Amino acid sequence: MERVNWGLILPLLALQVLLAVIGLISLWKAENVRGPKWLWIIIIVAGNLLGSIAYFTVGRREI
Amino acid sequence: MMQPLLQVSNLRKSYGRHLSVGGISFEIAQGSCVALLGPNGAGKTTTLRMIAGLLPPSAGSIGFTGSYQGGDFRRELGYLPQSPAFYGWMSGQEYVVFAAKLAGMNRKEAEGKAKAALERVGLKAAARRRIAGYSGGMKQRLGLAQALVHRPRLLLLDEPVSALDPIGRREVMELLREIREETTIVFSTHVLHDAEEVCDEIIVMKDGLIAEQGALSVLRSKYSQPVITVRTEKNAEAIQWLNSVGAKPFILEARLNGEHAVFNVDNLKQARHTILKEAAASNIPLLQFEAGSSTLEDMFMKVVGG
Amino acid sequence: MRNTWIVYQKEMLETARTYKLIWIPVVFILLGAMQPIITYYMPEILQAANNVPQGILEGYVMPGAGTVMSQALGQYSTIGILVLVLVAMNSLSGERYNGSAELVLSKPVSPAGFVIAKWAGLFTILFLALGLGVASALYYTEQLIGSLPWMDVVAAAALYGIWLLCALSLTLLFSAFLRAPAAAFLSLLSSAGMALADSLMPSWFQWTPAALPGLSARLLSEGREAVGVNLSPCLSAALLILFCVAGASTLMGRNKLPK
Repeated sequence: MERVNWGLILPLLALQVLLAVIGLISLWKAENVRGPKWLWIIIIVAGNLLGSIAYFTVGRREI
Repeated sequence: MMQPLLQVSNLRKSYGRHLSVGGISFEIAQGSCVALLGPNGAGKTTTLRMIAGLLPPSAGSIGFTGSYQGGDFRRELGYLPQSPAFYGWMSGQEYVVFAAKLAGMNRKEAEGKAKAALERVGLKAAARRRIAGYSGGMKQRLGLAQALVHRPRLLLLDEPVSALDPIGRREVMELLREIREETTIVFSTHVLHDAEEVCDEIIVMKDGLIAEQGALSVLRSKYSQPVITVRTEKNAEAIQWLNSVGAKPFILEARLNGEHAVFNVDNLKQARHTILKEAAASNIPLLQFEAGSSTLEDMFMKVVGG
Repeated sequence: MRNTWIVYQKEMLETARTYKLIWIPVVFILLGAMQPIITYYMPEILQAANNVPQGILEGYVMPGAGTVMSQALGQYSTIGILVLVLVAMNSLSGERYNGSAELVLSKPVSPAGFVIAKWAGLFTILFLALGLGVASALYYTEQLIGSLPWMDVVAAAALYGIWLLCALSLTLLFSAFLRAPAAAFLSLLSSAGMALADSLMPSWFQWTPAALPGLSARLLSEGREAVGVNLSPCLSAALLILFCVAGASTLMGRNKLPK
């Protein structure tokens, strides 16, 4: 694992976390969500990139 | 007489075989307040949408006083649909500014006018809140603010109070009474009382046609005819007698419903005398006899019900 | 014109308020960086997965920078398109069905102006997301694998962008007369259909927009000189986009009212 350059990978992990955090903030404020909110929390936190994408594209109901 | 602000002639709208508006003509004078009155499905909404340019008419014309590029007079219109939909992520203030800018104002002017319009409809405190959190009554008032903000020459309101609770209704009617001092209003409603409260003119629609139109004062006296209402016991002889009364020369119109009869008469005194005398002579078992005059409400109920 | 700009500003404000302006570019950046990283660390990844046959590890050859870059762009034609189409599916249908379009179109806004503002909003998102995504893919490719002539990368990204814009424009068109899910489904189906047709019979479809991703990949692996100038897919894409915007405007003009 010594070949792994953490300086390159860390920013991406940070972005990934940022994405999930934005998702959670948006979920917190949202009044109109498809399905239960706790389920989306699990999906966003555990689902990595795809979980967040799923929430933003189909979880939010835009009004 | 002054040139009318809006001139609608032979306006028709059909969807396939279904005729929604069947060729109506009317004029709206500058500064007047006109109620478009009629039951659901009479074609009121369709008419307003055609005036607002949201629906192309199948035939007929809509003329607006003044010259507008390509006949587009939407800048002079304020339109409020029956259940207005906004962008929930915007604040009330932002939406009204958006509407004011679309009507041609620059940002600064739009912001000032939007603030004033929101204050006027009683949304000052909620102006910075997101519309998603507004109640039905607040949305209706926001709708009024966005329709008013650019001081339109004609305000078109589709059932502005029908979805509101009594308090919200009261507030909006109060507002309309104020606004009518400044601009021309056309609003649709299915309640005669709402029309009488703010307007001085009505257009009664039924099945896509105009059943009656005119100034309320004129119509009131026109429909204030002497009326005699008679009710007898339920027996064949009495009903036959009621029918015979209906054929008398002094009866203008008779509406018989079994043992219940309503007679429009030309001479109340003579009719009352004759009917009572006959009833006594023929020993008719009268239950009720009433002499009075009909109201606009009767006319409206007749149009709506018949 | 002025009101189209005002509606566009409103679109962009919505994009920011609903976090689209952040999350879509972030997704594109992550997608772009993923490919070079996975390629570079493939031996470690294979090692970490225990039961890998010996030969595979030894036989692993690091692909060239051009190949990695075109694979990174390839991510955008799958997950990228899916994300963009799901974002765009509501743009006209949502406003039509809930009635907010009725209120806006009662103002002096033309249906075409309304549609163009929507399209421009989607274009802005695409431009931002693809720009940042390609920049991140390029950065990671150069750090880990090898350098690339960046003019080629810009040209390849532009070709890819035009293809994605076609998918977005199709979504806009379908969204003008269908409900959002149906619009998304149809536009994904038609772009997938075009891509499939192009991969089955490349010689027949090389003038269509579907040829753009392939053209972009060749540009990266063989260089600009080898590929030469091929304008016909770009022209047909421009025509398709124009058709979509014009069609959406016409349809919007007919259905301003909520159902």
